[in-house]
Amino acid sequence: MKTARNVYVIGPHFAKHCKMVLLVTAIVAGSLFIEALAGWYYTGTGTEQRSAVYLFVTPICYFIAAMGVTWLGWYGVRLAGGIKSLVQLLKTNNSPNIKPTGNAIINELGDAINEHFGDSSICVAELEKQIRDLQIKIQVSQKREKNAEAIIYSIRDAVIVTDEFDKLLMANEAAGKLFNFDIKSSQHKPVGEFINAGENKFVDFLRQSRQGKVQHKRLEIDFSIDDGLKTFDCIVSCVYDENEKVCGVVAVLHDITREKEISKMKTDFVSQVSHELKTPLASINAYSEMLLDGEVKDNQTRKEFYSVIQAQAKRLNQLIEDILNISRIESGLIQVKKKPISLTILIEEQLQMIRGQAQEKNIEITSQKPIVFDQVYVDSDMISRVIVNLLSNAIKYTPSGGSIKIETEVDEIARLARVTVTDTGVGIPESELQHVFDKFYRVSTNEAQAKGTGLGLNLVKQIIEKVHNGRLFVTSQVGVGSTFGFELPLATAEVLETV
Amino acid sequence: MANRRVLVVDDEIHIVHVVAIKLRNNGYEVISAENGAEAFKMACEEKPDIIVTDFQMPVMTGLQLVEKLRKCEQTKDIPVIMLTARGFAVENEAKEKLQISEFLSKPFSPKDLLRSIEDALYQRALINNEA
Repeated sequence: MKTARNVYVIGPHFAKHCKMVLLVTAIVAGSLFIEALAGWYYTGTGTEQRSAVYLFVTPICYFIAAMGVTWLGWYGVRLAGGIKSLVQLLKTNNSPNIKPTGNAIINELGDAINEHFGDSSICVAELEKQIRDLQIKIQVSQKREKNAEAIIYSIRDAVIVTDEFDKLLMANEAAGKLFNFDIKSSQHKPVGEFINAGENKFVDFLRQSRQGKVQHKRLEIDFSIDDGLKTFDCIVSCVYDENEKVCGVVAVLHDITREKEISKMKTDFVSQVSHELKTPLASINAYSEMLLDGEVKDNQTRKEFYSVIQAQAKRLNQLIEDILNISRIESGLIQVKKKPISLTILIEEQLQMIRGQAQEKNIEITSQKPIVFDQVYVDSDMISRVIVNLLSNAIKYTPSGGSIKIETEVDEIARLARVTVTDTGVGIPESELQHVFDKFYRVSTNEAQAKGTGLGLNLVKQIIEKVHNGRLFVTSQVGVGSTFGFELPLATAEVLETV
Repeated sequence: MANRRVLVVDDEIHIVHVVAIKLRNNGYEVISAENGAEAFKMACEEKPDIIVTDFQMPVMTGLQLVEKLRKCEQTKDIPVIMLTARGFAVENEAKEKLQISEFLSKPFSPKDLLRSIEDALYQRALINNEA
């Protein structure tokens, strides 16, 4: 940038013309002076002498003076004309390009002005460039600001930015939705005015964080939203200015309701598993201690103790197997060996194995086979497990003398096979039906009826729905009986051809 | 001196069976129940000297049983030993509030249970003598 500006040196023409004007003026003045002296000197002298003065000196002096005055007048008029045209040019044009006028001084003045305006036009160009740079910078800055806003708006977590007076500077849509306030109209208003969820815990936390000047602060806060309690992990970070003073805070609120639920479910699951594992262990431990301590005298009781220990060990093993299988299916680690097989064959195999149990309780089992092709593409071990589980549950909860019916239907239109197991058992209250497939859930009124881990039906659900994309269903009426069933897609022609 | 009567409450029949044998071998009379509701009825009718109950049972849990026992004039002073298979967080609070003599966690040793029963009965006898 140019700082020293427009120092013009008087040009050679200007100096020459000054000298010229001075010289002419001096000559005119000199001539008039000589004429005056001559007039004064020859006053009263002889006629010849005076005539000689008037004849030679006076005309010469007057001639020189007249010539000088004429030249000065001509020069003055020319100068005035030049100045006038310059003034007109300057008035009409910010950056005149003054052409030579013939007058050396005017030309020189014109050159100076041209030079001046030449410098000015450079300055103007520079300023214009700076303005353009600034405009670009402003545009970039505005774009950055918009980008930052867009980023904050796109964050799923609620984000609230406040200034050093706890007034709202910025908030995203998630925050507006969470605390039910209008983002635009709430700008520059104290946050306490429009946020009152969580009994002002959040607003207090913002204020404390700002006053405490700690870089980050974290707090879990419960908010009542849509008639439900939701837990948020609030992280408040202080914003510092160039003087290291806190000029506001940024609060990010992350919904951790689901995480909390999962964590609680995990804790409950571990607690439930430990309870379920410890129950058979307690029997094994107590019975073996009694045997070791010689508390059992007769052989018959001793034998009975051994069989209890064995049965409880089996129960423990079954429980561990069930937990592992559910876990494997849930995590997708289980190896599934699918092949096309008839459901009727699988059902008949399981019926053979379980009929003995039913006969012990004097329960009649009948089966109805479909008249059409019922091949499904399944892991036969897993589906056998499902069938035996549903049948053994039916036997467990059906009183002696009752009956169980297992039916297979084929829906050609929907391309699926449906198996139902209907018993004349104790039934399940309607309020508990939705929970029967939950892990460790046992129908409270039926718990005394039979022992169980509460994992069997959950495993059935995982096998049918997760592994085979089927559907599991239940209907029940207390005192009348229950129907548990599942639907599986029929094996497709392509699958059958590949075998 | 008449045999001390113990009410054993557990929905696990094997546990009731083994505890009963241990106690009978040591001169106790044993009565049993499968859940809290049945146990409360039995406690009122049979007036046992001590109750051994499981924590988690259908119909009425062990804690609900003890709460009910403590509210009833006939049963409020009966010592209770609780068996639990859970990591029991409120153990101390419940122990104090419901005057539970001992918490034994499953798997438990029948010998330890017998010792706890004897201790609880001894404590009860001391209190009765002082009274």
